[in-house]
Amino acid sequence: MPDTNIVSLPVKEKPTFKSKMARLGKRIVRDRQLLIIFLPGLLFYLLFRYGPLYGLIIAFKDYSVFRGIIDSPWVGFEYFEKFFNAPEFWQLFKNTFLLGFLTLVFSFPAPILLALLLNEVRISWFKKGVQTASYLPTFLSVVIISSMIIDFLSPTNGIVNKILNSLGFASKYFLIDPDWFRPIYIISEIWTNAGYESIVYLAAIAGISPTLYEAAKVDGASRLKMIFSVTLPSILPTVLIMLILKTGNMITIGYEKVLLLYNTMTYEVADVFSTFVYRKGLLANDYSYGAAVGLFEAFVAMALLLISNYASKRMGGNGLW
Amino acid sequence: MVGQRKFGLFDLLNTIAMALVACATIIPLVYIAAISLSDTASVTQGKVWLWPQGLNFKAYAQVLNDIKIPRAYLNTIMYTALGTFINVLMTCLAAYPLSQHEFVGRKYWMFLIVITMFLNPGIIPNYLIVKELGMIDTVWALVIPNAIWTFQLIILKSFFEGSSSSIREAAKVDGASDYRILFSIMLPLSKPALASIALFYFIGHWNSYFLPMIYLNTDTLYPLQVVLRSMLVFNEGSGSALVEAAALAPQAKKNATIVLAMIPVLMVYPFAQKYFAKGVMLGSEKG
Repeated sequence: MPDTNIVSLPVKEKPTFKSKMARLGKRIVRDRQLLIIFLPGLLFYLLFRYGPLYGLIIAFKDYSVFRGIIDSPWVGFEYFEKFFNAPEFWQLFKNTFLLGFLTLVFSFPAPILLALLLNEVRISWFKKGVQTASYLPTFLSVVIISSMIIDFLSPTNGIVNKILNSLGFASKYFLIDPDWFRPIYIISEIWTNAGYESIVYLAAIAGISPTLYEAAKVDGASRLKMIFSVTLPSILPTVLIMLILKTGNMITIGYEKVLLLYNTMTYEVADVFSTFVYRKGLLANDYSYGAAVGLFEAFVAMALLLISNYASKRMGGNGLW
Repeated sequence: MVGQRKFGLFDLLNTIAMALVACATIIPLVYIAAISLSDTASVTQGKVWLWPQGLNFKAYAQVLNDIKIPRAYLNTIMYTALGTFINVLMTCLAAYPLSQHEFVGRKYWMFLIVITMFLNPGIIPNYLIVKELGMIDTVWALVIPNAIWTFQLIILKSFFEGSSSSIREAAKVDGASDYRILFSIMLPLSKPALASIALFYFIGHWNSYFLPMIYLNTDTLYPLQVVLRSMLVFNEGSGSALVEAAALAPQAKKNATIVLAMIPVLMVYPFAQKYFAKGVMLGSEKG
């Protein structure tokens, strides 16, 4: 450090490296108890959140269980090339984007609509009751929800087919029909999440100043008019933030549910990046290939998040950062 | 704000729509329960709607006498209890130092932690870490690798921040150590926040099927959700698996298992509900 010998003026004291270190040392000694308390959490993050990031290098290696991560030979982009040239690649790409995009388009407005309508309910016990019921599905397990879907759509005694039969239609085996996979997935996503997600919008609505409504009332605005010109514009910033988040997570498909609902008959529409990773990586033990596909998926997801954040800022809205 | 208006057409339609929403969530659950309490003949003939036909508890007796299900239920209880305990303890330990503005390196630690919410290495690297640590096929694989959910950590940290700095200073003056401040002062003061994060962890463990499925290989260690899954999907990949499963697993028994799996969640649900809005709002502020 060149300036350690310069006697600095009291006003413009520039901290030297040494004095910084000394101060840091003092703070560490002062906070030693806090540091000890923090240690388990720090170890957890290093081992289980940063450890896997390090483990990602196997995507560029020919990983074998016996050699371990470090000693497995490097292969560069071999597994990525293998994936890009795989016959499934475009199908997986299309399925992931289409399922993610359609889910976003159809399920994004649902909680907003629910919040707007719930807000118009005057009878408070009824409002509370509907809210309580609508949050519930979020807390049910994927296995239970999938089980209900399979039951209700069963061709032998599922309730949906019973209704179809009573209307004079033949029974339909929905779960092996590729045309029905996406609608089933999307409807079940809405059923599961719309209620819970409406909380954010209800909270935003609760924050709207009552004077806005009073002014609108004086101007003789109808209820519907008030929804469209007071409530909706007021919650727009929240809607935008949620939209960025959702767009960023668009291709992060709920693979846990897809794994339970898909089968060979519906692979052509239901197989997505993450289910492919599970089959290739864990069921077929091709760890490096699975890691490469997973890394590609994470890369695309990150790009989507950055793009949607940028787009929102460009359009004059808020960004996440 | 809008008090005196009369109950108009809009209100009528809206009330009907909202009632339909409530029914759409409740009816499937009632239907499941009704099937589980009905006799086999009524179920196969499709006579059951929302009320059990030929009310009986045979399906529940079958479930209790099954070799796998009671054990899986106990496994789930054990994993959930141990997992939730570890989760809450670890989250408290990490949240307390981070809630102190003076804490050395606080900004850097927070950055290190928050950024992991956006970095998702995927299934395989997570699996390999667990494997390298020798946790495969042990309960530790289920409770250690997700010991802290960053989202819950941020919520608890914000809660601690709301009450802590003056308390800590006062206690420090009295010569209390940070361990004492955390366990004897902060935690008793934070019961509502602890209850809230504990409920989310609880439900997370209770409902988890994917991690136990990939980390456990021994049948006797399987939790309930994995056993329930095996009643749905017999072997992966075969197109007719669902048909076979439907024929082989008696519906009433399966639905009885589902009801038993849902009961604990339904029991904590009223308590959990109180904390939803708070948790969601804190989360969205931090974005």
